[in-house]
Amino acid sequence: MGPKAPAKQPQQVASQSIPATPASQNALDSLWKAYNDTTSSRLKTVDAFLVFLMLSGVIQFLYCVLVTNFPFNAFLAGFASTVGQFVLTASLRSQVNPANRAEFKEVSPERAFADFAMGSIVLHFFVFNFLG
Amino acid sequence: MYSLRPLFWLLLAVAAVQASVLSLQSPRFTILSSSAEQLRSEPLSVTQKPAPLTLGASDALKLTFQVLDKDEGKGVQPHQTFLRFYDEISGEEGIQPVRVTSGGKAKFELNMARPPASIPPTSAGIPLKVELIIGSFVHSPLKVELFELFLPESHPAPQHPDEASFHPLPPIHHTFRPEQKLPPRIISAVSAVLVLAPWVVLVGLWGHIRPSVPYLLSPSILPFIVTLGAFETLLVWYWVDLKLGQVLLYGGILSVFAALAGRQALATKGDLRVGRK
Repeated sequence: MGPKAPAKQPQQVASQSIPATPASQNALDSLWKAYNDTTSSRLKTVDAFLVFLMLSGVIQFLYCVLVTNFPFNAFLAGFASTVGQFVLTASLRSQVNPANRAEFKEVSPERAFADFAMGSIVLHFFVFNFLG
Repeated sequence: MYSLRPLFWLLLAVAAVQASVLSLQSPRFTILSSSAEQLRSEPLSVTQKPAPLTLGASDALKLTFQVLDKDEGKGVQPHQTFLRFYDEISGEEGIQPVRVTSGGKAKFELNMARPPASIPPTSAGIPLKVELIIGSFVHSPLKVELFELFLPESHPAPQHPDEASFHPLPPIHHTFRPEQKLPPRIISAVSAVLVLAPWVVLVGLWGHIRPSVPYLLSPSILPFIVTLGAFETLLVWYWVDLKLGQVLLYGGILSVFAALAGRQALATKGDLRVGRK
């Protein structure tokens, strides 16, 4: 591609202010392509869940900051549920990922899922308690 | 040992009966203006009070008298001679000692240009009662009401810092933080839709990925899934209706089933995974 060659030269200030240079655009595209190709559908499911949790947490936080923080306990419960679930799911993903088998020799994927399920139930219990 | 107190009072009574009587001779007052012009000068009678005296801001009052022992007719110097200035309405009073010579002659001057500290605070239109109080060890005491004195109005008496605590304090009005209000319904509705929007994103993504769950309904795995669903239902039920003790009890019972079902389900899954590998 034509624009690729001059983009490899040191950038000047004027051109650096443009948000998506062809080089970064290509980097993002290749990253996305690599992700799509190499990740199993199971892991993609978990990743979708993680994205959902992140979005949910961010929107709740924005509501609290922009509109109102009343009732505060409800905000804390909702936000804590997204954060806690994100942590549990991220740990499940890293333990279940076959590429990480060397790191998690003592933890089988089934054990990881059992931990995830138990942790989620306890988290939900506390969240419902606090929701009021 | 008998008490000596009754004896003491008896002796005192005897002494009082036998004590001599004091009297005033030729008491006289003079009011002078600032230019030493005599405004009023009268002799005082112990039996009848004169018309009330009035002093201006720059006038002076001079008072002269002689203290006599009535029986002997000689001048005596009593041990205590006081002029008492008393405001009947406010209850303020001031005591001014008067110097008496050994011959019994006494002179008192009150200069309004430089009033002594013993004059009590005065209010407009309210006179001070002036009394002469004489005390002596060897004579019976003497108290004479001399005259009423109108002085210029003074600053009021300074208030004691604790004065307020001797009167009922003002009632306490509690102010509370205003109740927190919910935002308008429109905003709440829009925000609810926004917060639930990620669920749509999730469903969309999962629809796109279409993960395969081939063994979900097999008899070894399904009970575990069902117990997990039961747990979630129990928690929602707790949120709506149950009490803590109940949910812990039911959760405890359910966890036994969940453990058994889970053990079996995950063992099956593990075998499948290993078998596949």
